[in-house]
Amino acid sequence: MSYWGKKYVLGGEFIIVKILAVLPDFIPTEPVKQMVSQVLPDMAVVSSLDFEKNEAEVLVATTFHRLGRKELSKFPNLKYIQIASTGYDNVDLEYVKEKGIMLCNIPVANKQSVAEHVIAFILAFLKDLIFLNSELKERHNWPILTGSRDLEGKVVGIIGMGAIGREVARRLLPFGVSMIYHDVTRLEEEEEERMGLTYVELDELISSSDIVTVHVPLTERTKGMFNSNVFSKMKDGAIFINTARGEIVDEKALIDAVKKKGIRAGIDVYPNEPPDFTSELFRLDNVICSPHIAGVTIESQQRFLMETVSNVMRYVQGLEPLYRVLV
Amino acid sequence: MKGYELFSESVKSLHLLPMFGNPGTTELASLRGIDDYILTPYDGLAVAMADGLTQISGIPRIVNLHTSLGLGNSMGYIFTAKANRTPVVITAGQQDLRHIFFEPILSGDLIGMVGSNAKFSYEIKSADEIPEVMRRAKHEALTPPTGPVFLSIPMNVMDDVSSAGIPDEVRVDYSYYSEDAVEKVAKEFNDSKNPAVVMGWEVDLFNAFEEAEAFARKTGCPIYGESLPQRSPYRSESPYYAGDLLPATTLINLKLVGNDFILFVGGDITLYPYLPSPLLQGKKVAFVGLNIRPKIGDFYQMNVKEFLKRITPKVERKGNYHRQESYQRVSKAAREMQSIGTTYVMSRVKKIFSDYVIVDESVSASTVLREIVGYNPGKYFSAKSGQLGWASPAAAGMSMYNNKVLAIVGDGSFMYSVQILWTVKRYSLPVKFLILRNNGYGILKSYSTSYYPGMENKDYLSFTFEIEKIAESFGIESRVAGKDLQEMTWLREGENPKLLVVDVDRSIQKLFL
Repeated sequence: MSYWGKKYVLGGEFIIVKILAVLPDFIPTEPVKQMVSQVLPDMAVVSSLDFEKNEAEVLVATTFHRLGRKELSKFPNLKYIQIASTGYDNVDLEYVKEKGIMLCNIPVANKQSVAEHVIAFILAFLKDLIFLNSELKERHNWPILTGSRDLEGKVVGIIGMGAIGREVARRLLPFGVSMIYHDVTRLEEEEEERMGLTYVELDELISSSDIVTVHVPLTERTKGMFNSNVFSKMKDGAIFINTARGEIVDEKALIDAVKKKGIRAGIDVYPNEPPDFTSELFRLDNVICSPHIAGVTIESQQRFLMETVSNVMRYVQGLEPLYRVLV
Repeated sequence: MKGYELFSESVKSLHLLPMFGNPGTTELASLRGIDDYILTPYDGLAVAMADGLTQISGIPRIVNLHTSLGLGNSMGYIFTAKANRTPVVITAGQQDLRHIFFEPILSGDLIGMVGSNAKFSYEIKSADEIPEVMRRAKHEALTPPTGPVFLSIPMNVMDDVSSAGIPDEVRVDYSYYSEDAVEKVAKEFNDSKNPAVVMGWEVDLFNAFEEAEAFARKTGCPIYGESLPQRSPYRSESPYYAGDLLPATTLINLKLVGNDFILFVGGDITLYPYLPSPLLQGKKVAFVGLNIRPKIGDFYQMNVKEFLKRITPKVERKGNYHRQESYQRVSKAAREMQSIGTTYVMSRVKKIFSDYVIVDESVSASTVLREIVGYNPGKYFSAKSGQLGWASPAAAGMSMYNNKVLAIVGDGSFMYSVQILWTVKRYSLPVKFLILRNNGYGILKSYSTSYYPGMENKDYLSFTFEIEKIAESFGIESRVAGKDLQEMTWLREGENPKLLVVDVDRSIQKLFL
């Protein structure tokens, strides 16, 4: 197997960089190899980490392979891990820190996809699509009484105004909604005006919104932030959407809110993945679930690929890779 | 005749006028017989005006620079003329040679200074040789690969007396081709499994658009434009046009990943950001053209119009490419109305200025300009060197030949050559300026976000120029556009020079990997 990349530096000296890309085994490697042959021709592409030792200096991986101490110790020369994904939960951060390995992710490729998924959840609830679909297909009902609602005129509360929060706001503006937001850092007033956003405290956002969508990272501060106290302040029948991280929500509190306050929940992420399918969450009519796939589209995968290739090339050129998580 | 008379008569006989320049005392000796003179209040602008007029008219023009200092001020513009392959004759005065030993002020090694940026450079030694040197200068400029030439004209030579005659006009035949070479390229094309064709600026230079379209129709291949062309490489309305290559090895490789033979016709490979992918590795590559100098592959020096005419009957059909209609532009433009995004602005330009020559120095908006406004025969020009400050004077020069010329220039770029407004006003040139004001160097900010994140916030990459007021101070009518861009219609009206500032979206575009 050849996996010798070339790093060209000033003065014309060639420094050898060894690059290994490990793809999930469900991705056909041949088209990737053809592309790689034109981009970084000597980068090796494999589907498994089932080998004893590898000399690679750069490891490109997705979240589909566990990169624990056992796996990473097969790479004695490893200096840089590039995860082709936003998440990097599969990487043993302690080991990476201990060895001084640089770790980068790609946090910019799926914001559009997640934002569209949020809109899909909202419209599915407001237009009663799940109910109407089953009434027609399973019970052949016609006509059907429904509580279908317009998005226009609703108050949408966006928690977290990072890259994804902004994409959601940008897409919602033409629907004729009112948008309020909360974040630890407030936007510049000019930007708020341009985006049609009003900044409010969290409590006000929770109690004023017809739709609440969460876009905060998982931190000690946000872990379990949606508890029974918060849900109790939401409007009855409000829509709650979580495409961020499962641990942000107390699942039991959510189930209670769905049952007692008629909260409708669009859930893409779970505290444990795959989730516990015996949970009542999966039996509630007012809950629409998706399998942590909000950011996964054909288009976003293409963006991940290009951003990943770009970042590895920055390293090969002697530049600083972007999106450094560690070191 | 005296030297200055031989000089002015030679210039007239070789049809090099008007002369563009910014003279000093050193040049007065040579200018006594020259009346058709366009003054630019900064030296380099004279080169760009001559470059523009030469390109659009196909007739080489002459430039008069003020000795070492004027030449030094003009080097960027001469470099651009070289990159553009524009056959301009550049002259500069030299101090009186009778005391050159003492290195009088303004004297200098002009030939050394112009260096490799001129394809031919010479310091005139006597009045006797003025006619033949002038003739040779034009001849050298016009010989492929065409480009700027330089003459140093010592003051004392202008008062020498000579019986030399006036030179005849220069003639250069560009129609050459080789039947053998055409056969060879046709065979390579036919033997390939999946060829791709890249057309370049010489398609416009030799007006080979019909031949290029016939070739595309016959082969069914997608036709790409060369990256960052200085002139239209192909009609972008054609269903065979598949967009331009991008100026980086990785991006070119990805675009052509499935092709085994790449034929460049009248264009070359242009790169800017270094990327480590080896270019077109493992593929057969051939170039055909007259003025290009390819770095890889095989090269066949031929006139592209003649080549395309002759190869088309010999090539086999290789595909059924037909570009899918894109409905994206109209929707995207509508989305960008509020923020005055470049897609919105360029959509309006396309509608209002469809019959205009576009001179593009919109830099960070250039990709959108070329995509939306598109390429048409004789209707697109840009500086191949990447120079800022070229388009405004070049457009002014072009407007001496065509009264429908629109320069689309960023605010940062415009300030490089703002003095051109004086020349435009002084000579009533009908050029129109559309200034895209994003209050900063958008391209640098974009590059920063890709390679040196954080640098985009450096204060020296942002600025505010009240260009509308600057234009007024030169006596040029100017306005700032509202969000509906109605002022574009005002900009088009009339033949007097006008300037319109559009405050475009300032967000940083992703233009690099």
